[in-house]
Amino acid sequence: MKAKSASAAGASGHNAKQLAGLAILAFFAAAAFIGPRLAPYPKNDIDFEAWLKPSMKHLLGTDSYGQDVFAQLIYGTHTSFLVGILAGAITTVIGVLVGLTAGFYRKWVSDALMFVVDLLLIIPVMALMIILASFLPSMGLTSIILVIGLLSWLYMARSIRSQTLSERQRGYVEAARVVGMSNAEIMIKEILPNLFPIIAANLVSVTTQAVLAEAGLSFLGIGDPRSVSWGTILALAHSNNAIMYDAWWWIVPPGLAIALFCFGFVLLGNGTLERYRAKRGAQQHFS
Amino acid sequence: MKIQLSYVIRRVAFAIATLFAAIVMNFLLPRLIGGDPAEMIASQTALGSPDVANALRKQFGLDDPSLVHQFGSYIAQLLHGNLGISYFNYPVPVKDVLWNALPWTLGIVLIATLLSYAAGWFIGIKGALKPGSWFDHSALGVSFFINSVPYFWVGIMLILIFAYKLDWFPMGQAIPVEYDSLDSLHKLGSIAYHAVLPIASLALASIATHILVLRNNLIRVLSEDYMVLARAKGLSARRRVFHYGIRNAFLPSFTGFMLSLGHVVGGAITMEIVFSYPGIGMLTYNAILNHDYPLIQGAFLVIAVSIIAVNLLADLIYPLIDPRVNLN
Repeated sequence: MKAKSASAAGASGHNAKQLAGLAILAFFAAAAFIGPRLAPYPKNDIDFEAWLKPSMKHLLGTDSYGQDVFAQLIYGTHTSFLVGILAGAITTVIGVLVGLTAGFYRKWVSDALMFVVDLLLIIPVMALMIILASFLPSMGLTSIILVIGLLSWLYMARSIRSQTLSERQRGYVEAARVVGMSNAEIMIKEILPNLFPIIAANLVSVTTQAVLAEAGLSFLGIGDPRSVSWGTILALAHSNNAIMYDAWWWIVPPGLAIALFCFGFVLLGNGTLERYRAKRGAQQHFS
Repeated sequence: MKIQLSYVIRRVAFAIATLFAAIVMNFLLPRLIGGDPAEMIASQTALGSPDVANALRKQFGLDDPSLVHQFGSYIAQLLHGNLGISYFNYPVPVKDVLWNALPWTLGIVLIATLLSYAAGWFIGIKGALKPGSWFDHSALGVSFFINSVPYFWVGIMLILIFAYKLDWFPMGQAIPVEYDSLDSLHKLGSIAYHAVLPIASLALASIATHILVLRNNLIRVLSEDYMVLARAKGLSARRRVFHYGIRNAFLPSFTGFMLSLGHVVGGAITMEIVFSYPGIGMLTYNAILNHDYPLIQGAFLVIAVSIIAVNLLADLIYPLIDPRVNLN
């Protein structure tokens, strides 16, 4: 009882979380798409002295190559944003498709799909990404997005499936069947909308995971060598001994950018979920 | 508390199937993507010499037109413990290179997992007993933050603070330069000293999930009907929480614990690079830099096998903790 009233209070607070999350993401979207035009210096511009401390001229100092870290960070936003959104989208589509199918169809379809998912879940995704990425002839932004998007849907498929299993027991599915709806129609028109909160929650975590995976792959040197991302900035900082030069301005900002970006998704997801639960709780209460 | 034989057989069969899947992936992926790995390696290492490419093709068994035959000989090689020769460490077999690196990774991953689990447990329980308190709020906040940053960044930050600024711990490596001249006690001591920061980083980077899972489980369990009954019976709060609550909250988190191991290993790969720690991760990194394909594949296999083995172990322990598992 207590939990229900708490989430209702959260809803009446008019999803401040959602708004805050949206604001953070809008900020990064602006930095990703408008930022490069407003950036103080061109991409990979090496016109400056190396290891300069932060100043008004270089807000976040310069790196060992004499690049302006703040400008690089802005260009990096574009890559990380695209990878997060697009790889997250691919993951979500596959996760929902597999989870919905495995939850809706009983017997062998479900068993076979879940067997495959359980098998793959045990093998560490990072190791799988490494082997895939290192054998690809060349890594561009597209391959990065595909590698991450195609390998990250397992958890999501599992959670979508278990939610589908409980949805298909409900009366509305039976009613739809009586009306004569086909399986595909029931899945897409009836069950899918009810999966929305669980999809939203998963979307948040897969997007976060995609941004982190890109950073990890770039750090390992198997990202796109031509593009700048938050991960490649950190990789360069590490391989050029930024710590030994006490160049915290090269190390701390990319990490915080990743954290803030992911936090925006967490806020948006949690806010959406709370609002949905409160609404749904109220509905059940009155019906 | 007897484990049923059928359960054991099912779990072992599943582990073998997983292992088979990992081996098939390891076999197929390079062959499906790379076009011709032999040509690619020859172009990278021997100016594209066709002789070198042919020799490599022979070594990989790629000259056999039938994929099934290739797979057969690949399995036969594996069964003999042959993972090929490392290019970069030529002519050292991949197996030996991996064997030297494995203990370092296993050591820090296992200790870090146990530590983060214990600490996450403690913090999660404390938060769940007073949800909404400042302790609970800050634990949640820190958890969300840690979950949103890359593993390796946590490591870099700890080095910056505790190795560079405060100079309490070494900045990297697993052993000091003068290692060989030390007596065995000091050798152990120096290994432990060098392992503190890598373990701490890995534990810190993976603690968030444990806190969140345990806290939410315990809050859910505490609101169950049998807890209300326990309260009505007049049982003390201590007994309710420790005897009823934590035991039941622990079960789902045990499975999570095992699944998280894959994450920790993935994190350890980048963490080792940060610390120049001579484990499987560092090895993989160097193998990627040097296009040492047999070594990359070998490292993948070792990681997969270790994770599968630990999962099987957990599956077999689980019914001892939760007898209900045996029923289905």
